[in-house]
Amino acid sequence: MEKWECTACGYIYDPAVGDAENGVQPGTRFEDLPEGWVCPLCGVGKEFFQKVV
Amino acid sequence: MRIVIVGGGLAGTMAAKGLRELDPSAEIDVVGEEQYPYYPRPNLIEFLAGNIPYERLFAFPEGWNERQGIRIHSGETAVRIDPGTLEVETKKGRVLACDRILLASGSSARVLPLKGGDRKGVFVLKTLDDARAIIDYLKDHPRAAVLGGGLLGLEIARALVTRGALVTVFEYLNRLLPLQLDDQGAGLLKSRIESMGITVRLGASAEEILGNGGGVTGLRLKGGGEADADMVVMAAGIQPATGLARGAGLDVDRGVVVDDFLRTSRPGVYAAGDVAQHRKRIYGIIPASFEQARVAAANMLGREKKYEGTVPSNTLKIAGVFVTSVGGVNPESGDREVFVKRDPETGVYKKIVLRNGVLDGAIWMGTKKGAAEITRLASAGKDVGPWKKEILEDDFDFTTL
Repeated sequence: MEKWECTACGYIYDPAVGDAENGVQPGTRFEDLPEGWVCPLCGVGKEFFQKVV
Repeated sequence: MRIVIVGGGLAGTMAAKGLRELDPSAEIDVVGEEQYPYYPRPNLIEFLAGNIPYERLFAFPEGWNERQGIRIHSGETAVRIDPGTLEVETKKGRVLACDRILLASGSSARVLPLKGGDRKGVFVLKTLDDARAIIDYLKDHPRAAVLGGGLLGLEIARALVTRGALVTVFEYLNRLLPLQLDDQGAGLLKSRIESMGITVRLGASAEEILGNGGGVTGLRLKGGGEADADMVVMAAGIQPATGLARGAGLDVDRGVVVDDFLRTSRPGVYAAGDVAQHRKRIYGIIPASFEQARVAAANMLGREKKYEGTVPSNTLKIAGVFVTSVGGVNPESGDREVFVKRDPETGVYKKIVLRNGVLDGAIWMGTKKGAAEITRLASAGKDVGPWKKEILEDDFDFTTL
């Protein structure tokens, strides 16, 4: 599963790790993150993320 | 340990969170000018464009700070700090005594000192209130003049045209993104921007904002010539908000001067984010504010952590186009080798500038592939001589270097 990077602050979303603090289980693909999910570090929305090439 | 943070933006909010993570018992107060909960400023562009609703602006769920025991006083601007007694006074007359002060006051939009600049219908875009005012005004004033063809100006133009405005960008230099691009790259970007319905005028500088009692009617340009407009948005850069620091007698240059531990010239007072100047640099970008906030938090609690500066993230998406620019992209001396690859169909434009084979600068436009690698190589001053032609190819394998 691909990692995605927040273009605003550099936070890397790693699907293998998930985002427990915000209720996202490990193994959740970026594409499957809930609609209102935001970068846990700086708060920008999913539209600011890009796939890590 | 009592800490007062001046500023409820990114640096202030991230510092508060960082402090709480490191010290569950610290008393943390944030005094912020804006009346809204924390929101990341990039969201303002999407809000301006109408791409996200008001509710989606704010980063964290309601009550997040109460749950962490962080007191946030919104709409309560700090008016004075006393480095001697370590006190912060707010506009409501509240005086907060503490052990550490963090100045995270951010930056303000540069207001061009133009005649007519105080007319109704002239805006900057810095805060949510600015965005709401622009959206409201746009309804009956569709012809928008954006002053500035840099990063923010182009993003504002894109957002306004998405809202249905008729937009013209005025850039006083002869190309868009003048610092980041060369003439060819800027030309490609201009075509892309124009294809979105935005008019671009280069070498154009406003001398006066014309109008009547009702508001703006147009611009008078340097060198003669006029342009019609119903509203003006100034996007001419930002400057650190150093007023409070100056008033307190701190060492201030362009920004509040800090050392490698984010300390200002007075003990107990720190600074982070857009307001801070570190090793002669002011950043104005999120990664720097974020990093500085975290390091300042650690240092304020006595956990020495060194900040060496932030490598600017060089890839931006401007009006839907990926633009990466690093190093010297417009060589003036003749001892540079320049290699360019341009694909009019895909809109991809790549350029490398070599000095004796060493990568001195690069532009990568229209694609993200290889952008991070070329940035790293240019920042490291890597010798790429043997691969100078192949490195521009889409399928170049950077691992061979």
